[in-house]
Amino acid sequence: MVDIANEIKQQVQERRPLTLAMILTNRWFLYGVSMLAFFLAWDMAAVARVFSSGLPRPYEVVLQLWRMMFDPLAGKSLLGHIWASTQRILIGFTIASLVAVPLGLMMALNRYVNAIVKPLFDLLKPMPPLAWISIAILWFGIGETSKVFIIIIGTFVPCLLDAYNGVRLVEPELYDVIRMLGGNRRHEIIQVCFPAAFPAIFAGLQIALSIAWSCVLAAELVSARSGLGFIIILGMNLSRPAMVVGGMVVIALVAWTMSQLVSGLERFVCPWKREIDSR
Amino acid sequence: MREERHPGQAKIECKDITKVFIQKGKQRVHVLDHISLDVKENEFVVILGPGQSGKSTLLRIIAGLETPTEGHVRIDGQEVEGPGPERGLVFQGYMLFAWKTVLGNVEMGPKLRGVPKKERREIAAHYIHLVGLDGFENHYPHQLSGGMKQRVGIARAYANNPQVMLLDEPFGQLDAQTRYFMEKETARIWETEKRTILFVTNNIDEAIYLADRIVTMEGKLPGRMHVVYRVDLPRPREHTDMAFLKLRHEITEASELTL
Ligand SMILES: Nc1ncnc2c1ncn2[C@@H]1O[C@H](COP(=O)(O)OP(=O)(O)OP(=O)(O)O)[C@@H](O)[C@H]1O
Ligand SMILES: [Mg+2]
Repeated sequence: MVDIANEIKQQVQERRPLTLAMILTNRWFLYGVSMLAFFLAWDMAAVARVFSSGLPRPYEVVLQLWRMMFDPLAGKSLLGHIWASTQRILIGFTIASLVAVPLGLMMALNRYVNAIVKPLFDLLKPMPPLAWISIAILWFGIGETSKVFIIIIGTFVPCLLDAYNGVRLVEPELYDVIRMLGGNRRHEIIQVCFPAAFPAIFAGLQIALSIAWSCVLAAELVSARSGLGFIIILGMNLSRPAMVVGGMVVIALVAWTMSQLVSGLERFVCPWKREIDSR
Repeated sequence: MREERHPGQAKIECKDITKVFIQKGKQRVHVLDHISLDVKENEFVVILGPGQSGKSTLLRIIAGLETPTEGHVRIDGQEVEGPGPERGLVFQGYMLFAWKTVLGNVEMGPKLRGVPKKERREIAAHYIHLVGLDGFENHYPHQLSGGMKQRVGIARAYANNPQVMLLDEPFGQLDAQTRYFMEKETARIWETEKRTILFVTNNIDEAIYLADRIVTMEGKLPGRMHVVYRVDLPRPREHTDMAFLKLRHEITEASELTL
């Protein structure tokens, strides 16, 4: 009866023999090549003492990290310091996103909320979050509160802005669809606004997360007895480059893991999103 | 309470519709000028006009999404005062919910009207079958081709069981072959479930293939109705039929005077 076979998108799986050219252009192969080249260049630079004694060899960094797993610094092992930074981020990031995302959505949906919040927000937005560090320490001391405060300040802006823009950029005809189907304003918000804004909200969360790492590091560099920023500053004070670079590497790994977790959450919440081909 | 319907009363009645948009508070855009049009129950009327002749605006007024500057629209004698589920609208640009599957899109109308889950699943399944999308219930719109997307759009509008279907250049974005195929499907769906249909297009062949009656619009703003053609060809129609070609020639000739 109905033949729509010609409309179905087909994935064609071609079979090709393995050739040298294929290996050379294989994605994973190229990843490997680029990583290997990087570490080789790093090692050669360290051996050649390009930065005099300031650059450790890669294996020295690994060794340093291994030692820190077992010998506590300031009463905490490496895992303890990782957790100290992570905890600050989780608290600050959670508080900021739980307040900023709903506020951004409400600003986009209600012009009175928008009229009240927007001027304040526009005033505070251009101020770099790190400008708040000193005042935060004056207000809250050098404890956890001031660090969490900085993270909240830094992550609030992208969370709010992306939720707001996510709703603003919804195709208005989609609201017409809802109303033609018999829906009301509440349906427009639940069925169109929120789901359409999800991808933008997640983009905001990703940006917020990377800002949160900058904020926590800056705060820890200024004053802390724990955390990855503390390890870096301690390494600098003790003139142990392996410790500094080790701290940097660990930060990159932990930050990457957290961003993957947020991506995973996004895939779970928004299964409809077109898989963006990473090739 | 519904008014008693007089025999022969039009299903859709547009009376002297004029639309002027006010842009930026000052500039007036006169889009429609005194359009009057009656569509009978279960009639298939095609509005044929070139781009930017106010076709979408007319359809949105009948849908209740815009208010006419002058004149009024009545459905079954009741004046249209806003959008509502007794009119189904199929959009020029599909307008599917990207976050809903085919099933989720099609069952949206019944869901918004509070139809219980089991029942609305049955309704959705029925219309998904009607448009030939069996097996694609759990696909998301981005996994579908253009023709399939518009099938979903049609099924979604049908699922509310509207008395009137309004289609705004539904196949305008499709390639010629798929378009031709979808026209055949539209004729089949309409034969299976008769509705009063108002169908907008800029394609003469599409108009003659589908319509009981063709209303042509003039090619410049403000949009005015030009000529009304009755198409008395037997269905299913053939594009190569002599009578088909003759009517096509007639419409082209008449249009060229004004376009
Ligand atoms: N909301 C609006 N405000 C101001 N002008 C509008 C508005 N909607 C439509 N118009 C104007 O009305 C004119 C006709 O638009 P309309 O979309 O009805 O034409 P159309 O025949 O459907 O065109 P197309 O074939 O491109 O779909 C356009 O020139 C447009 O600028
Ligand atoms: Mg249009």
